[in-house]
Amino acid sequence: MSTISRWLFEPMPLGRVAVFRTIVYLFIPVDVLITTPWVVDHKDTPRSLYMPLVVGDLLHHPAPTYGLVVTVMTALLICSVLAATGRHPRVLGTAVFLLYAEWMLIAMSYGKVDHDRFAFLVALAVLPTVGRARYGDRNRSDAAGWALRVTQIAVVCTYFLASWAKFRFGGLDWLNGATLARAVLRRGTIFADWTLDVRLVLIAMQYVIVAFELSSPVVLFVRSDRVRYLIVAGFYLFHLMTFAAITIVFLPHLVAMLAFLPLERIRPLRFLQRHLPGLARAPALAGRQSRE
Amino acid sequence: MTAWGRAARLVMTVLAAIALLAGTAVGDDAHFPFGPFRMFSTTDRIDAPVNSTRVEAIDVSGRRFVLTDELSGLRRAEIEGHAAAFRQDPSLLRDVAEAYSRRHPDKPPLTQVTVVVRRYALRGGVPTGDYEDTVQMTWRRR
Repeated sequence: MSTISRWLFEPMPLGRVAVFRTIVYLFIPVDVLITTPWVVDHKDTPRSLYMPLVVGDLLHHPAPTYGLVVTVMTALLICSVLAATGRHPRVLGTAVFLLYAEWMLIAMSYGKVDHDRFAFLVALAVLPTVGRARYGDRNRSDAAGWALRVTQIAVVCTYFLASWAKFRFGGLDWLNGATLARAVLRRGTIFADWTLDVRLVLIAMQYVIVAFELSSPVVLFVRSDRVRYLIVAGFYLFHLMTFAAITIVFLPHLVAMLAFLPLERIRPLRFLQRHLPGLARAPALAGRQSRE
Repeated sequence: MTAWGRAARLVMTVLAAIALLAGTAVGDDAHFPFGPFRMFSTTDRIDAPVNSTRVEAIDVSGRRFVLTDELSGLRRAEIEGHAAAFRQDPSLLRDVAEAYSRRHPDKPPLTQVTVVVRRYALRGGVPTGDYEDTVQMTWRRR
């Protein structure tokens, strides 16, 4: 037990949480306004088309109304930008988590559920538990370690359990089936269409995908930083190739995956100071820099 | 971190893991966020036809057009997710027309909404060019 506990709470730099938090919270306006703009469209959807999730039923959640959708969106945008500053991390972080959870309930309760943001939701849930964290702070804390570790675990679960789902729903036949071929047929780009003439490539890719998903937990246990970063680079490359081939990308998942990287090396305030000297003289920023 | 803080985090971690494993083993999409990660998880025969769902509408001026995601505010996959509900009660399509009117109050209202499934025939995984349209259900304003 103590080995698992040591691993789960392995101290990590607070500066990593500070940068990770800023990126995660700033991604929310991008997500809401640009990359998943259809969520807000549910403000116009009549209540009869509401298909509640189990969690919606448990909470006795009524069908979302126009007012609810617009209010949640506005509050979420404001809170996420404020939370990105790193101030009041517990209060603002909790508010963002609750608002985003409600936003997801609005998104997924109309007949289609997406699978691209489990790790992102985990990150939002655990970030408020870390408390104060400053950019560039190399001090390690077990609270920061736990938050980053469970986000990493959630990333790996998204891969590993996807293979489980393939075997559960598609069976072992999935490996030799035509799932990729049909995905390319439906959504293939110029980078992928040639594979339809070389069917073996697509079958081989299916084996590669399952091998990659089932072996993904390795990234949680490698001791060498360098090897870990290489594996994570491989994960990003996989998503880049998927996007090039069939224009599907799990953006929130990719944001959560930053939890593997040495983000503490990024020091946004120092960067601003160096490149925008005028800005650095602003009293609010100057005050923060001296503490950085 | 206090002993209590550590214990609480440990308990949360274990509970979330149990929920996610249970969702993966026996759950479905309704158990979001703990449902199975079932993207691209079904096995298809290479020659099984590819289905493509669309919604067609006619407004009071007689104009016939495809009710796109943007026009109805419902994604194609959400229309497909409602297929069983529509089959049971085609009058639900009236609410799709209602969604269109709410989003486009300046446009003429709809008198008919139809869900059409186009099945593209494949041979050896390559589209043969043949397809067949099937009207799944229709609602007409009386």
